[in-house]
Amino acid sequence: MKTLGLIIVVLVGAVLVYATVDFPPFGDPASPASLHVSPRYIEKTVEETAVPNAVTSVLADYRGFDTMFETTVIFSAGVACFLLLRVSRRRPPASRQYRHRLTGLTFRVKDGREISLPLRDFEPLDSIWTPHDFIIEKVCRYLIPFIQLFGLYVIAHGHESPGGGFQGGVILGASIILLSVSHNLRTALQRMGEKASALFSPFGVLIYAGTGALCLVLGYNFLDYQALAALLPGGPIMARSHGIFLVEVGVGMAVMGTMVWIFKNLASLGRYDEGL
Amino acid sequence: MSEHYPALLVILPLLASFFISAAGWLRPACCFPLAVAALGASLLVSLGLLSIVIGGGPVSYRLGGWAPPWGICYQVDHLNALVLAVVSVVGFINLTAARTHVKKDFPERAGPFYTLYVLFVTGLLGMVVTGDAFNLYVLLEIAAITGYALIAMGKGRAPLSSLNYIFMGTIGACFYLLGVGYLYIVTGSLNMEDIARLLPPLHGSKVVTVAFVIMMVGIWLKMGFFPLHAWLPNAYTYAPSPVSSLVAPLMTKVMVYVMIRMVVTVFTVDYAFGVLGLNEAVVWLAVIAIVAGSVLALAEKDVKRMLTFIVVAEVGYMVGGFWLGNRPGFTGAVLHIVNDALMTLCLFLAVGNIVYAKGNSRWESLPGLFRTMPWTMGALVVGALSIIGVPPTCGFFSKWYLLLGAIQGGHYGFLAALLFSSLVSVVLFFRIFEMGYFEPLGAPHGPTHGQDGTTTVREAPLGMLAPLWITALGLILVGLYTGQIVGRVIRHAVPAMMF
Repeated sequence: MKTLGLIIVVLVGAVLVYATVDFPPFGDPASPASLHVSPRYIEKTVEETAVPNAVTSVLADYRGFDTMFETTVIFSAGVACFLLLRVSRRRPPASRQYRHRLTGLTFRVKDGREISLPLRDFEPLDSIWTPHDFIIEKVCRYLIPFIQLFGLYVIAHGHESPGGGFQGGVILGASIILLSVSHNLRTALQRMGEKASALFSPFGVLIYAGTGALCLVLGYNFLDYQALAALLPGGPIMARSHGIFLVEVGVGMAVMGTMVWIFKNLASLGRYDEGL
Repeated sequence: MSEHYPALLVILPLLASFFISAAGWLRPACCFPLAVAALGASLLVSLGLLSIVIGGGPVSYRLGGWAPPWGICYQVDHLNALVLAVVSVVGFINLTAARTHVKKDFPERAGPFYTLYVLFVTGLLGMVVTGDAFNLYVLLEIAAITGYALIAMGKGRAPLSSLNYIFMGTIGACFYLLGVGYLYIVTGSLNMEDIARLLPPLHGSKVVTVAFVIMMVGIWLKMGFFPLHAWLPNAYTYAPSPVSSLVAPLMTKVMVYVMIRMVVTVFTVDYAFGVLGLNEAVVWLAVIAIVAGSVLALAEKDVKRMLTFIVVAEVGYMVGGFWLGNRPGFTGAVLHIVNDALMTLCLFLAVGNIVYAKGNSRWESLPGLFRTMPWTMGALVVGALSIIGVPPTCGFFSKWYLLLGAIQGGHYGFLAALLFSSLVSVVLFFRIFEMGYFEPLGAPHGPTHGQDGTTTVREAPLGMLAPLWITALGLILVGLYTGQIVGRVIRHAVPAMMF
């Protein structure tokens, strides 16, 4: 079986190399890929969409329909992880650990029982001992707001510079994951609960598809942002730019929500009590 | 409004899936009605689209308002209007039957289940309606991811089978994407009709040849064309009943459509059958697929698993019929997409009912079933007769066209394989009937030793029987209206080059 696999791999590789013989030269300005559709994207993007970054205008306008479904792929992945990993009928753990806030003493409660003392004096701990690192916690606590601010900047600045919804969303999602890694899953869940991340994800894609549907309701084709000129200032060309921005915000929300959602499911094995 | 039908067809279920997902958290009881509304609306739109295409010819729709080579466009002609109708009908009927299963097996996961269900159908509809080679890949991803998750929901070995399917399916999708990339390198376009316009001067290019071959292999992997079928039986067997009866009828059929679309619209019949001249070889591959699928089905002792091998054989029918490269062969292949989707749906729904009542569909569960579940078994008989190819069920007519195609093309190997497979189907299904009808309860096969012969009817609930019987009657109706379907739809889809 292994030999057969090797033969197939070599064969496929050989076929792919065989095809490169007829490729246009690398970086050739006269190759079909740079002569057929791309000149219009490069030359007309400002004129037609008022967006200086051609990548953004292709991604979110010329071929915005593809991007909508790419965002939907991310959403589907989030739902799939939830569907497969989330444990709905939870069994109580064999033992629970708590730290007394004032004295720093830790307690272990066995046989699935909870402590009867008032909970505000006690802090639940992970069952596997995790170091309580003061420096990491503080540094991350101060860093996370700036990371999130940068994430918002990347989303908003996708029109002008490299960036956009996907990248900004990943940065935002990573900030919550960093909170969970540096503190623990419970802290992250207090900031952004399961339901919040699970609702963020479809809501983000809904903003995207909803913008498209709004154009349809206003009498234009689906995702034809010109239609938004009826609602937003600046005429049909600026409306394209505004439409792209709306859509990028949706992508950012969907990506952020899904990242956090998948992380929580994976890290806690679907139990949402503790993890990492 | 009707000019927006191509977009609405895909957008309505897509939007609904977000609301279903949210409803799963806020109001779980709303999930099922929302899903029904979404797929029902999309069913109506697809039927409307079919009637528009029959009345006025192909329709196109520019997404984002951009003209085709620059933007993405939807292109609906006779071929995909028909497939769209089939996909939405099967998706809708199966959804109504899924409710009882969901309530029984995983009520707490109804929200994500219906979300992924609707997204899966959205993905398939989008793959069929699109006129853009890359957009097809994106929708293929959606259908694939949701399909993997739905299959992995099953019990026992389902997650492992799904993982296997993920590996094979990803390779298949990758190959398709690689093919699209190669075409882009030499043409600079992603729009199907635009590529077709740019390709003829490049027919000698090695890049195009490799693109074609690798794309076909990728598509065959996704449709489970023997010998690339290894993932299929396990994935479809271990999936939960409502998922098997969704994925098995649709996924393979839609991939057959994608193959036809790629050959006919993008590479053109000229190139595939003329320049490359691969048709003889592919038809022989199909012959092997049909024979192997049928023989492997004989070895199974579980109705559901047996059906999965029949699916493998049926894929051979469609691939072979299409690659015969003549009019009756093409007609047979397209007609078989319609018929096989309905037949497979009918059989898998019937098996779903048996699993619902008995816990599994192994042969031990069969004795006495005609007495305890007469309606389910009745529908199973209709579906089986259709697979065998008994008139007036629809299976007969597509097989008839395929046979005509084989005779016209002088391909007697394919002819023999079709007849052989029909005979094997007779054996396969009459074995089941024999066990269900003649073997009494409490006979050595059954676990119910010591019972007296009197049994009461313990039929599946009406919510599952109604969709099953609608499908079973549909098989006969489609059979009776074959003339209409061929004359008004498929005749216009046959490429002018074929005779």
